[in-house]
Amino acid sequence: MNATLYKREMKSSWKLLLIFTAILTMYVVLMIVMYTPEMLDMFQQFSATMPQLMSSFNMNFSAESLTLLGYLASGLYGFILIIFPMIFSIIRGNGLVARYVDRGSMASLLAAPVKRRTVAVTQMAVLITGIVWLVVYASALELVTIAAHAPEQADTATLLKLNFGLLSLHLFIGGICFLASCLFSESRYSLALGAGLPGLMYILQLLSQAGDQTEGFKYATFFTLFDSDAIAAGQAGAMGGVWVLLGGAVILYAAAVVIFTKRDLSV
Amino acid sequence: MSVISIQNLTRDYGRRRGVFDVSFDVSEGEAFGFLGPNGAGKTTTIRHLMGFLKPQKGACTINGMNCWDNRAEIQQTLGYIPGEIAFFDDMTGPEFLRFIARYRGMKGDGRRKELLDRFELSPTGRIKKMSKGMKQKLGIVAALMHDPAILVLDEPTSGLDPLMQSRFIELVMNEKERGKTILMSSHMFEEVERTCHRVGIIRQGDLVTVDSVDELKAKQQKKFIVTFENSKAAEAFLKEDLQTEMLTHHRVAVTVGDNIRDLIAAMNRYPVQNITAPNQSLEEVFMQYYGGEQA
Repeated sequence: MNATLYKREMKSSWKLLLIFTAILTMYVVLMIVMYTPEMLDMFQQFSATMPQLMSSFNMNFSAESLTLLGYLASGLYGFILIIFPMIFSIIRGNGLVARYVDRGSMASLLAAPVKRRTVAVTQMAVLITGIVWLVVYASALELVTIAAHAPEQADTATLLKLNFGLLSLHLFIGGICFLASCLFSESRYSLALGAGLPGLMYILQLLSQAGDQTEGFKYATFFTLFDSDAIAAGQAGAMGGVWVLLGGAVILYAAAVVIFTKRDLSV
Repeated sequence: MSVISIQNLTRDYGRRRGVFDVSFDVSEGEAFGFLGPNGAGKTTTIRHLMGFLKPQKGACTINGMNCWDNRAEIQQTLGYIPGEIAFFDDMTGPEFLRFIARYRGMKGDGRRKELLDRFELSPTGRIKKMSKGMKQKLGIVAALMHDPAILVLDEPTSGLDPLMQSRFIELVMNEKERGKTILMSSHMFEEVERTCHRVGIIRQGDLVTVDSVDELKAKQQKKFIVTFENSKAAEAFLKEDLQTEMLTHHRVAVTVGDNIRDLIAAMNRYPVQNITAPNQSLEEVFMQYYGGEQA
């Protein structure tokens, strides 16, 4: 790690992190505060009368999802907490390596007695710091808001499991973006893979939940490995996929660092 | 002892692009000019020296260390001015210089102030808004502020105005006197002529020759354009024992090597109105030395 480079890159990250932190704050607080007995009745009626519509919004309110965490697992962990950290990974993942190589400013970083491995590991640490911040912040905010609004629904252990799963998913997505960034000399290719692959996988995940005919898509997307509903419901084996994501993330980052260290750079 | 050594370096980009079997050495304390037209392979060669590219064949070493395997270690005592300056656009000039100093692990600012003064550079404002010349000066300061023993300069004067160009040439000469080893690429003979002992000429990826500057100068032919008062005089002048070529009715181009006295003597006998020496492109100079087909 090079502390000077880390500081510079965190300075480039913080505005984006601030905006996403604000968005997450709004949604997390709103979703938890909206959790009232009356609203639950309403959602149940919706689900009973228009199951297709509700499920296409990724909100499957069945009996076991009537706990606060079950409700959050569908609402928050199906959309808001997926999308925003994913956008962060896509933007920063590309910006940390491929953009510098594309523009040629990577030459300034390599024309110094700093190993390529150090450069890559530092940039990786910047990306992971941002991802960890967003997930840890959301977890803390959830804990505080639940304690204030619905203390009787507090289930810290399950909530932490959910967020550990979320973190693993985002580290995996970040790994894809970072690998794409280290692989290509042009921003557009890095973005095509770094944004395209997770985006496509997410759409497949939405499709797989939209109806019985498309359910098979769940076998084609890594989002299936993070089953927030199952984790919230405390199902046995629900964390299995999470460990796969975490292991995959480690492999992706390691591959990215090795590739960046060994490849030709025309900068 | 050779500080920079390139042996049989090859990188084939296809369609005759790249560098092919390039070998040369630069000794300690020597200034070596690396000359060639645009796209000849100068930057590709230099990227291998910097450890950005891995040789397909052959090898480069600096201070005996392999440029690919030991690239970070080599950078400790190397200063590099890239051919295409691209910095972090979002930084200001002072921020960038401070960043590079800390990033390199420098204690203090080194020669920063002295170099800024030398190029009359006060690099406030964002790099994004800087002119090409300003960025080039900033690149010079960033490359030299840690006082490296080896300088690798890829077309370092591009974008500088003539005053700053000659100030840079002075700087290179000073560094040479201080015992630095210098590799400087250029597409202008005049630029390396003033600073370098030896010159390597690269064309279409082939290192065509490595010669001392004095030898090249001896081979150099000069072209003059002589304008006469009337076409009759011009036509008569063509019959003189000189290498001549009619341009228009009144103007004749003359190419001379070491026989400039003959030209002066001949001109004395004719009603000459004007004489000019057009700037020669490197390609022209090159053609005079080695003939061969046009690139």
